[in-house]
Amino acid sequence: MAQQRALPQSKETLLQSYNKRLKDDVKSVMDNFTEIIKSAKIEDETQVSRATQGEQDNYEMHVRAANIVRAGESLMKLVSDLKQFLILNDFPSVNEAIDQRNQQLRALQEECDRKLIALRDEVSIDLYELEEEYYSSSSSLCEANGRPLCEAYWRLDLDTDSADGLSAPVLASPEPSAGPLQAAAPAHSHASGPGPTEHA
Amino acid sequence: MATYSLANERLRALEDIEREIGAILQNAGTVILELSKEKTNERLLDRQAAAFTASVQHVEAELSGQIRYLTQVATGQPHEGSSYSSRKDCQMALKRVDYARLKLSDVARTCEQMLEN
Repeated sequence: MAQQRALPQSKETLLQSYNKRLKDDVKSVMDNFTEIIKSAKIEDETQVSRATQGEQDNYEMHVRAANIVRAGESLMKLVSDLKQFLILNDFPSVNEAIDQRNQQLRALQEECDRKLIALRDEVSIDLYELEEEYYSSSSSLCEANGRPLCEAYWRLDLDTDSADGLSAPVLASPEPSAGPLQAAAPAHSHASGPGPTEHA
Repeated sequence: MATYSLANERLRALEDIEREIGAILQNAGTVILELSKEKTNERLLDRQAAAFTASVQHVEAELSGQIRYLTQVATGQPHEGSSYSSRKDCQMALKRVDYARLKLSDVARTCEQMLEN
């Protein structure tokens, strides 16, 4: 509990230090600028000679100008610290940023899945036509070897890359009504190398 | 980014303040330079000096406002929200797309080889 109380106090102390830095830097800028303008005034009566007074004024102006620049740089550092504090501790904006990011990513994911489903529907039609063509053109060869299309693909896969296992395809539409498609669904994972020799 | 509007508004305001601090120093330098000339342009001097004073007061007011807002909003706790889960889901969706593209290219290549043969 004491530790919880200590944390907000350090934040409060930090913010109070920011206030103090702001007031000091602004005061420094204004005071030094005002003093430079005042020392630019030419006085007729001086305690030392004009040359000495001129040198003194020159040195004083240099120092005050350097003070103004230092105060300006301190203000820039303060702004940088405030930006950092804002990013880490401004919970409303952090929450909104997270929500927006989540919405963006979810929308992208839904679009990807929607397009994949549309692609699957299109490709299943084309695959059905391909299989029809395959079975009608090489049906006699199929009977001779007793090997359907899926097994021909599996044979290809074993020949070309025996190390890879068969994985479930993304595009497979498991429709129990389509016989060839059902048998050929696991075979869509790998298709490399030339077709089986029986394919004319 | 246009999407992070609320967070960026305050950050953009702070960036404007940074530019204004640069303008303050620029105005101060112009005034002193003008004073150093034998024949000073009084209108320019007055204008620059007024701009200097107004900028300093504006910067002070803005920064005080930001600090006041942070005093109201800041807690002692770290923010523990993240977008990791949705990022992971999106990553998996993109992986699915890549996999589908790979398999389609395999099928296309096989069809072409069949046609050549």
